[in-house]
Amino acid sequence: MAADGYTGKVLRVDLTNEKISTEPLNKEWAKQYVGGKGLGAKYLFEELKPGTDPLSPDNILSVWTGPLVGTLVPLTSRYVIVTKSPLTGTFLDSYAGGFFGPEIKYSGFDGLIITGKAPKPVYLWLDDGKAEIRDAKNIWGKDTYATEEIVRKETGQKMARVASIGPAGEHVGLISSVTNDLTRNAGRGGTGAVFGSKNLKAIAAKGSLGVEVPDMDGLLKMAKEMIRTDVVDNPDHAGMITDGTPILVEMSNDAGILPTRNWNDGTFDGHEGINSEAIKSRVFVRKRACFDCALACGTWAKVRRGIFKDSASEGPEYETLGLCGSNCGIKDVEAVVKFVEECDREGLDSISTGNAVAMAMELYEKGVLSKDDFGGLDMRFGNAEAYVKMPAMIARRQNIGALLADGTKRAAQKIGKGAEEMVVAVKGMEYPAYDPRGSIGMALAYATSDRGACHLRAWPVANDAYGSQDPWNPEGKAATCVEDQTRTSIKWSFIFCDFYGVSFPNMAKYYSAVTGNPSSEEHLRSLGRRIWNLTRAFNVREGFARKDDTLPEKMAKSPLRSGKTQGKSVSKESFEMMLSEYYSLWGWDSDGKPTKETLETVGLGDIVPRLSYLR
Amino acid sequence: MSKGLKADLEKCTGCQMCALICSASHTGKFNPSESRINVEDVFPEPGEFRMNHCTHCDEHPCVEACPVEAIKLNESLGIYYVDKDECTACGACVDVCPYNGCWMDPSGSYSIKCDLCNGDPQCVEVCPKGVLTR
Repeated sequence: MAADGYTGKVLRVDLTNEKISTEPLNKEWAKQYVGGKGLGAKYLFEELKPGTDPLSPDNILSVWTGPLVGTLVPLTSRYVIVTKSPLTGTFLDSYAGGFFGPEIKYSGFDGLIITGKAPKPVYLWLDDGKAEIRDAKNIWGKDTYATEEIVRKETGQKMARVASIGPAGEHVGLISSVTNDLTRNAGRGGTGAVFGSKNLKAIAAKGSLGVEVPDMDGLLKMAKEMIRTDVVDNPDHAGMITDGTPILVEMSNDAGILPTRNWNDGTFDGHEGINSEAIKSRVFVRKRACFDCALACGTWAKVRRGIFKDSASEGPEYETLGLCGSNCGIKDVEAVVKFVEECDREGLDSISTGNAVAMAMELYEKGVLSKDDFGGLDMRFGNAEAYVKMPAMIARRQNIGALLADGTKRAAQKIGKGAEEMVVAVKGMEYPAYDPRGSIGMALAYATSDRGACHLRAWPVANDAYGSQDPWNPEGKAATCVEDQTRTSIKWSFIFCDFYGVSFPNMAKYYSAVTGNPSSEEHLRSLGRRIWNLTRAFNVREGFARKDDTLPEKMAKSPLRSGKTQGKSVSKESFEMMLSEYYSLWGWDSDGKPTKETLETVGLGDIVPRLSYLR
Repeated sequence: MSKGLKADLEKCTGCQMCALICSASHTGKFNPSESRINVEDVFPEPGEFRMNHCTHCDEHPCVEACPVEAIKLNESLGIYYVDKDECTACGACVDVCPYNGCWMDPSGSYSIKCDLCNGDPQCVEVCPKGVLTR
């Protein structure tokens, strides 16, 4: 092992033939793409045949850490699942914090590349440089909580870290997630379905191999200083320390962008029942941090009274409060705690699941769906007792859950009768909890994200709806998206947490200290541009173009109804103008395809011959 | 009066930075398995953190149990530490400790426990929530 933050090893698992091998990490690629998103994208681009069915044994399921993961560089506990998404057909990178990511490193691997399909359900056990494919007969059919408990018993490691699918992934639902440490999810894009399609129930790890750096004393000195000055005492982090993401409920409601009753409104009359104060006063138990995090934004919450008494979960986080709270007309945080516990246990993405339940509620209220579709439940907006039954129904494909399990777009196509107009998604991935009708920057962020509607590549809402800019003026939004996507592309390659407002110069400082490689702001910007162009090239190779960088009709046709966004929509002219400007800023053609010159400029000249549109 | 670290677990968030820096400063690697302090997160029930480390208790049964006198007094701090070169990895100290304060190194070749970093405990310095004090 070199003392450069990497373990230097990649594990390959062929589930069809039950073969395991270890190979050296491609160090040249590690220099060019770092880790996490970048390195995962490089391996996927090189190794996945274009047009591969994401649910076929040929799809590549890869799990990556980064050079900083497992070190004391703050807020670097994350891992990423990189694969081709069965929900969107695009490149997919889905992240989670907790403790699983560092444990992969301590087990001796920078990444895992899994192909094929096991003849029967299995799980993968990583233990100090060794890996083993194990029979999953005792955990198949179990929820993620039970799976963790049983795997720990079977491996004899009481602190083994486990990432698993629940019933949702086993039933190959396209909005299923991979859940680790009970409550942390690589949530988006159908990661769970890819596990399920491969008969892979879980990956578990326990390691004691450690991570080495060139100058430990120097790194410790720097990290201790930075934890204090750049994390704990950084004023940008104050809200994350006191409240965490639920602080956004009131901000969104004030700005008129809080998804409400399936995106028919942007303010919610029940916001006080699901906001940060409600969490703190009604369900808060203690703060629970991810590994190596001085912020501890997570809250362990437990319901104290009423019909959901003793239900417990972490969070709920803002996205869940918006989509499983206001968007379903739910006014009580206790119900959201129960709902998100169900999502975590069943292995469902709470963003997409909240959207799916909200759409089903609208269809029920409009008479398109009936009680029979819900097993006799009265699924009107706000009926908490009925709605908490939905995650299990979706995960296990019961009743209407059989359709909702594959997301709103596919469900609506099968339901028909106007259901398609109620879908709020991009490329089939449901929106996160920021309505673009009150934040036009988010319209562009969703349309141009490399994995479908996503808030983690660009977040212009910070400056428009939450900031001082006009949230309906499209000017400058393209530049904001380009800047954010450049930054997040490299940030997700280290892998830093979203909630660390780490600057480019500080990222460069950490990178150099851990790997020994020289770096600078411009160096990292060039890597960010390279990585974003690579995921774009992947999607273009799969057939995506401008025709897919679109918003649902509802954004232009159906204005919001109350508050600051009353009467507001996203005009098609403004949207197309932003999109054209965005392509131009990236150096892509008017159809959204990176040009040969652009690819060469960002260091991707080597992939030009493999892109048919450039031949 | 115990001379060891004191932990206010109500403040603990389970971030493990104590274990991370402990392993780094004692072994030169980031490797919580080789840490002299560890945190167990026990969720969903009872939903709490538990911390294990040597309390440097006055009774020090480990010292009496060690058959080769490998647990020695640091005179300036008044605490006992494991001399890993003399430890035979018999595990007697691990078995006898009532506080679950020492354990075997993952290599299995010696036992490890808190030595207060020669008077400047790194975990106390790094803990962002003020859980640990001396």
